[in-house]
Amino acid sequence: MTKVWSETLYDAFGQHFNTDKVLFESKTSHQNLLIFQNAMFGRVMALDGVVQTTERDEFIYHEMLTHVPILAHGSAKSVLIVGGGDGGMLREVCRHRAVKSITQVEIDQAVIDMAKQYMPGHSQGAYDDPRLNLIIADGMEFVRNTDAKFDVIISDSTDPIGPGEILFTEGFYASCKRCLKQGGVLVTQNGVAFMQLEEVKTTAKRLAPLYKDWSFYGAAVPTYVGGIMTFAWATDNKALRATSLPVLKRRFKRAKLKTRYYNPEIHMAAFALPQYLQETLPSASKVR
Amino acid sequence: MNSFLTDTRIQELVQQHGTPLLVLDCNVLKEQVERLRRALPGVDFFYAVKAFPHPDIINTMDQCGVGFDLASSGEIELVRQFYVNPRNTIHTHPIKKNRDIVDSLRFGCTTFVVDNIEEMKKFYPYQSRVGLLLRVSFPNPDAIVDLSRKFGCSPDEAIELLQIAKQMGMHVKGLSFHVGSQSRNSSMHVTAIRRCQEIIYDYNRHAEMPMSMLDIGGGFPVDYCDTMPDIDTFCAPITEALRNMGDDIHIIAEPGRFLVAPAAISITAVTGKAARGGRNWYYLDDGVYGAYSGQIFDHARYPIRCLKSGPVAPSVLAGPTCDSIDIISEEIQLPQLEVGDLVIGEMMGAYTVSTATDFNSLPRCEIIVLNKPENSDKIPHIA
Repeated sequence: MTKVWSETLYDAFGQHFNTDKVLFESKTSHQNLLIFQNAMFGRVMALDGVVQTTERDEFIYHEMLTHVPILAHGSAKSVLIVGGGDGGMLREVCRHRAVKSITQVEIDQAVIDMAKQYMPGHSQGAYDDPRLNLIIADGMEFVRNTDAKFDVIISDSTDPIGPGEILFTEGFYASCKRCLKQGGVLVTQNGVAFMQLEEVKTTAKRLAPLYKDWSFYGAAVPTYVGGIMTFAWATDNKALRATSLPVLKRRFKRAKLKTRYYNPEIHMAAFALPQYLQETLPSASKVR
Repeated sequence: MNSFLTDTRIQELVQQHGTPLLVLDCNVLKEQVERLRRALPGVDFFYAVKAFPHPDIINTMDQCGVGFDLASSGEIELVRQFYVNPRNTIHTHPIKKNRDIVDSLRFGCTTFVVDNIEEMKKFYPYQSRVGLLLRVSFPNPDAIVDLSRKFGCSPDEAIELLQIAKQMGMHVKGLSFHVGSQSRNSSMHVTAIRRCQEIIYDYNRHAEMPMSMLDIGGGFPVDYCDTMPDIDTFCAPITEALRNMGDDIHIIAEPGRFLVAPAAISITAVTGKAARGGRNWYYLDDGVYGAYSGQIFDHARYPIRCLKSGPVAPSVLAGPTCDSIDIISEEIQLPQLEVGDLVIGEMMGAYTVSTATDFNSLPRCEIIVLNKPENSDKIPHIA
């Protein structure tokens, strides 16, 4: 019999993966980590029973959380990644030669070590990039205490249940605002809205009092089952979300990015939200 | 009493390990699982870990295909260590902190028991992720341990709660009950099953999210000092009542005592003796603050014997602590015992060492495991 790993995100529904080879399993000090090989998705990393990333579809998530804010910003020099221990986000940020400094704050060194060893395709050597300042610390503590300021902050967290919980709080969003340079933008992973609408509502409620412009954009990532994964968008610079297609095309070309999901048209379209989502959000986010 | 150890073997173990001991035989666990399966065909078991949270019991149950009834984050941690598939677990404590819910979800256990509106509200943030069982209470004056006083809502309240859950968008996937332990007959189980069946049937006629699970709890009796009906006789009316449930309803049970009670014996030694009030007092190296704690918390009276024979006299068995409550038996017929003689408590697997204390800073009894499950090369978290 083929061995099977079942995701335990939902009681009534779930996805199964054949596990052709278990590469790593451990309880780290913060979470329970499993990496295995699957014929369809390559290497799969799960934390606390929930798929975090797979070799096959990770590019969609990482490209969308990186290129959308950086290209909308247009002149981002400094980027902060909170979480993202698998290195995929760092890899995509590193592709932007115009970015001069990258700070990554990850709570768990073990996740980085394991990902480097077992999912090297995620970081592809990005941890050796001289622009990187890697800090092993609590992301919340970091944004609360740091004097550094950033053009783009990317929160690549786990689910709100578990160690990532604090990265969905009003306190975190407020501290990020303090760490943003003028005109800077914060983006965060915000779950699969169709499955967990409450997460989107809660984030909207928390961002609204803090940022002049906030919204969500989306992309379907196959192993985050249930439709589009939403990314929260928060900035005081309303112009960023309204960046036009010709401008994005120009920036995309200039950045010489080789992408597999992102392109300027996808960028524009990603901010169009389905009706079930729009109707649950306060009106501010719908204004473009 | 069917002791799984000969007197010679008991003496060997004592020579090897000293006293006090609790000897656990995993083969007895397997036999008990099979006995209960024969008595309750079609019912899936979730071992109530609280009865005896021992690693070798967890492993044995897991290998027998038994799931786990968990009631705390500590119990979750225990089964996690042994790579139990979280899909084979249910969280049954009716009252939880948010932390308990989060720990359970992070482990991957998504089935929870609630019995009131306040508890249901705690699941609102996780509503898409969980399936709830409503615990219905059926007071059982016949049970030695009546669990309906502390937990459970009345059937009428359950019907109201179902409507509230519907408005909240919570998924109630079924009902549960626990009619209490050590009943002489299963009439209360049958009454509870019938009433739950009515509630499920009525609700499901119009439900968008129909109920699909019935948890019939535990309470399957074992013989302590009193002989109880055998398990087949006890379960026959339950099996009969379940016949009408319909194929869509998954029937589960949470046995604890029945599976582990017969699997362990306590071995204590006489450490001192005195004649008081016309009786022989024997002071043992384990008592009601230790493995015999079930006599206090679980209202159990374990069958006790000694390895010696001879003319008997009224005797008292006392535990090793300084407390006067630490008496195992006030009135027991025993032959003349000497310091060093052994006293055996039978049927001591359930709610014995799991409720033991460290009072008087006395070390707890050593646990000796026989017929341990083989160290399987199980791949973590993979069924």
